Amino acid sequence: MVSISFLNPLSPEGKDIVRELGSFEGISDDIPELRRLVTRNPSQEIVDDKEIPSNYLELALKRIEWYIKKKHDREFNSRRYSFLSDYSITKYDVISFYLLCQAIGVKFGPNSRETRVMVEAQGDLIQERMGKLSIQESRLMVDQSLAMLLHDDMVHWTFFQELLSTRKIRLTELVLDNGELILNEEDFLHRFGSRIKHRNPDSMYQLLIGDELKELIMVKMIMQETEDYIKQVHEKARVMVEPNPILLELADEVAEVLAEPMQHYGYGSGRSGGPMKAGPLNPLAFPPCVKKALEGIKSGGRNDAIVLFMTPFVSYARLYPDVFRMNITKRVSDQDPQLQITENEVLPLIYEAAQRCVPPLFDDQPQEKVNINAKLGFGMHSTLKMEHEGETTWYTPMSCEKIKLHLPHLCRPDDVCKKIGNPLSYYNRRIWEVMNLDKEDSDSEDNPSSNNVDNIQNSDIQNSDIENSANNENKNSDDSNSGEG
Amino acid sequence: MDLKPATPNERRQYYREEWDVNDIPEFIRKTLTQREFGFDHMGRGPNDRYRVFQNTDYLRKFMRYRTPFAAYSSVAFYHKPRRRDGWIKAELVFDVDAKDIPIRSCGCENVCEICLNQAKDIVHGLIDTIQGDLGLSDIHVVYSGRGYHIRVLDDKVMGMDSDVRSQIVKYLVGSDVPRSEYSSHGMKYNLEHFTVPFGYPQVFTDRVKQALLNLNLDTEIDEVSKDIKKAVIKHRELLSEDQWGLFRKEIGPVRYARLVKGIASLNLTLVDAKVSIDLKRILRLPSSLHSGVSMKSTLIKNLETFDPFQDAVPKFVYERKD
Repeated sequence: MVSISFLNPLSPEGKDIVRELGSFEGISDDIPELRRLVTRNPSQEIVDDKEIPSNYLELALKRIEWYIKKKHDREFNSRRYSFLSDYSITKYDVISFYLLCQAIGVKFGPNSRETRVMVEAQGDLIQERMGKLSIQESRLMVDQSLAMLLHDDMVHWTFFQELLSTRKIRLTELVLDNGELILNEEDFLHRFGSRIKHRNPDSMYQLLIGDELKELIMVKMIMQETEDYIKQVHEKARVMVEPNPILLELADEVAEVLAEPMQHYGYGSGRSGGPMKAGPLNPLAFPPCVKKALEGIKSGGRNDAIVLFMTPFVSYARLYPDVFRMNITKRVSDQDPQLQITENEVLPLIYEAAQRCVPPLFDDQPQEKVNINAKLGFGMHSTLKMEHEGETTWYTPMSCEKIKLHLPHLCRPDDVCKKIGNPLSYYNRRIWEVMNLDKEDSDSEDNPSSNNVDNIQNSDIQNSDIENSANNENKNSDDSNSGEG
Repeated sequence: MDLKPATPNERRQYYREEWDVNDIPEFIRKTLTQREFGFDHMGRGPNDRYRVFQNTDYLRKFMRYRTPFAAYSSVAFYHKPRRRDGWIKAELVFDVDAKDIPIRSCGCENVCEICLNQAKDIVHGLIDTIQGDLGLSDIHVVYSGRGYHIRVLDDKVMGMDSDVRSQIVKYLVGSDVPRSEYSSHGMKYNLEHFTVPFGYPQVFTDRVKQALLNLNLDTEIDEVSKDIKKAVIKHRELLSEDQWGLFRKEIGPVRYARLVKGIASLNLTLVDAKVSIDLKRILRLPSSLHSGVSMKSTLIKNLETFDPFQDAVPKFVYERKD
């Protein structure tokens, strides 16, 4: 029988397993039983004996490695990780889960890429494991888990505040009535049965809620709990004495596994590794919203479009296109010490867009020049001076989500837009394609179509590592909140 | 009625002879000291901000002496409103501006009776969803001068961040096309939004219906050709009887999909989303004068019977000689 802790290590059963282990003593010792379970698994493929995890720490790393390879390695072979879906490893798996959360919590904290990967890996792993169960088994597991997670039969949607805020679930995905989330079939039929015409209410329940929505909520809630747990560990570690060196070592190894795809598989559109270097702007790679803003804003929202949208985009695209992947806050002068590029390339492009507005933005609102400087991090001053840098923060580019809300008329998505969450990710993705195209073009000049940017086939490699961190937006909207118009 | 701006003299007359501090809704008066106030004295935007009033009497005096062009108060409650610091919570607000309704049947330049009525219909729909689907209460509707503000003071949502608020906006306005493909036990099924008479698909259906019934040939919708619009106008009476299946068949399933996608993205401008997600917004003070159009921002007791041209016109407008 599958234990609930195989899906949710944070459940009481999972906690019991940790309690039983007691301490870190012997945590890196060999566990012959674990090796035996892995090798005994009939669907397991073993290419090299070294691949078999032989203790908790190795198992922990395998969990992360599985996720990273699945996402980035085109030659990923799931049979080499079959053991991860075999519930006989539950008690080892639970411990390795806690080790990972603690290592990541202690070393990297809740807002790190490591945390994001851990949380997503846990979500994917649950789904993978659910897929291996029979329908009856998985229903039972989902019902039991939800009963535990939701505490109550009737749940108000506001209970999912955190999941909604982190966009793990969308409000439009939930079936709501009078504020309550409808999950139970009887409840569903009682509330909506009489309204449903020409269809069988039972089958409508199966389609709209049934197993799928319940499973989604369960998975996302466990992901959220995982994230919360890492946060807790991080907060505790800050006030406690030295963390256990085993955890720090594991954290370093996790970081190594995460760094691997950058070296081996490359990020983004199949480009060959290495960080995104800053370079001259290439308008061919601009996303549709930026192109549209460059054409000039004709009606309302001129200030937002130029100050809040274009200024961060243009400056980051030119000076620090890697910001979301690096996840390190910088100042403009870290990238442009003499501010020459900023003065000669960044500002002119922003001013050009401002000039094309109808009416030209600075004609009636010259003070917006000061606001542009502020968004570049140089305080509320009319000129860029090093001594003022840091008085304000250098705003990171708005996400697509925010653009849709603030500047809906700019958002005219194309195919590439579907794969990204921030215009800067669009630029980073396209700039490689455009550059490669230039290269190809000069290699074979008799190929006229290669000059046409619209002909580029987009690679389907997942790019989520880059744009997920695009959620890191400026929350300080203080100076942007004007009165109602 | 001519919606022309109020002169400084008219403003003075309004605040000294007509306005009473007790016209400010109770939900603001009782939380006065936690809110930031902002004023626009010259008609160039609210640049006199960070004002705090310790009691209604101070506010009364301020309004009488300064007779501002426009007055605002924060939707946020603060520990230190003077510094806009110590944020406690904020009303959840939806701003429906008649001028910005994406599909307007009137085609007027500014606002008129037709688009104000249309705004009212939108407000009705939004409130139904706020109560019926989201189960929220303590909802107040204010006529803003050019449209309506829905202000929700339910403690269940007042602590929520911008991200949750943006999800609420999307749900209410119907800005995502609900999925139509579902699967169960390996089988695929098709359920169009209009076949689901509850939850978000129902909200979406209502909003699309509202848009289609008001659409005209000049309405610009992404990737929706004039031919599609013509077909909509020709067959839309089917929607009055909720014959969605037939309507979709007449339009053609591919064109129908394009049509609802276009409307979904237009729906995002049914309310000004910026207002809803801003946790520190200042909003026109109910009872104050909208000097740009010479109308009173008014707390509405009964939305059904409210008529801005009856209930929100200050006396001085009737006394104008020209």
